[in-house]
Amino acid sequence: MRHVVGVGDMKIGRAGDILVTHGLGSCLGLMIYDPVVKVGGMLHAMLPLSSINPQKAESNPFMFVDTGVPLLFQELYTLGGEKNRMVVKAVGCSQPADKNELFKIGERNYTILRKLLWKNSILLAAEDIGGTISRTVFFEISSGRTVIASNGNERLL
Amino acid sequence: MAINLLIVDDSSVMRSMIVKALRMSGIDLGAIHQAGNGKEGLDRLDEHGIDLAIVDINMPVMNGEEMIDCMRSRSDTSQIPVIVISTEGSEARIERLKEKGARFIHKPFTPERIRDVINELVGRQNA
Repeated sequence: MRHVVGVGDMKIGRAGDILVTHGLGSCLGLMIYDPVVKVGGMLHAMLPLSSINPQKAESNPFMFVDTGVPLLFQELYTLGGEKNRMVVKAVGCSQPADKNELFKIGERNYTILRKLLWKNSILLAAEDIGGTISRTVFFEISSGRTVIASNGNERLL
Repeated sequence: MAINLLIVDDSSVMRSMIVKALRMSGIDLGAIHQAGNGKEGLDRLDEHGIDLAIVDINMPVMNGEEMIDCMRSRSDTSQIPVIVISTEGSEARIERLKEKGARFIHKPFTPERIRDVINELVGRQNA
């Protein structure tokens, strides 16, 4: 089944599911997959730090990188995912020529992700980060296959 | 086979970050030795069997480039692979280091980048 992950959203899938998120600009798209239990999840986080709006973070932690990323991992742990098997891929964090560029949202989203990964000793299996483009990501949970579409082109991550 | 490493950087925080990146990388690590400048780095090379050196450039007492020059001039250390991890911005200097056989990684670095470069160097040595 196909599930669309909106902005400031997170969804978990099992074998047979495809998770899709559209219009990743400065936002962070994070895909995590456990190939043994075949569960995976996708996060589409808008902003780096929840401290900017703790009330919003309380009601929607997936809006922020620092609250959304740990929750995505935790959700997968509850479904049998194990940290040492998880394949983690990051997409987005670009600098589109709009107001977000002024605040370097994409760059800061990526910095916070990197800090979280360092702290938890997690390596990225692949990333497609930065630039000025908007990206759409298709994440197949059966295989972990991740495809990025942008400017009419598709490529495997 | 486990590889024995030498990390030379005047910042203990940076040395700790490199050690953490190495431990995250999944590389089969042996002993990890550390030094705070090029001179101390040469001392560690005398004291231990080192398979690979990770070296900063801008350090007091003896900088990384001088250390690499000394290593290349000695028969017992001339073949040890060197990775330079630095904020160095001078393309001329980076090219010079590459001509001396060093691989270059810019700070800030990612653990994935360190893993990939080490695997490439170790793979080349074992080939």
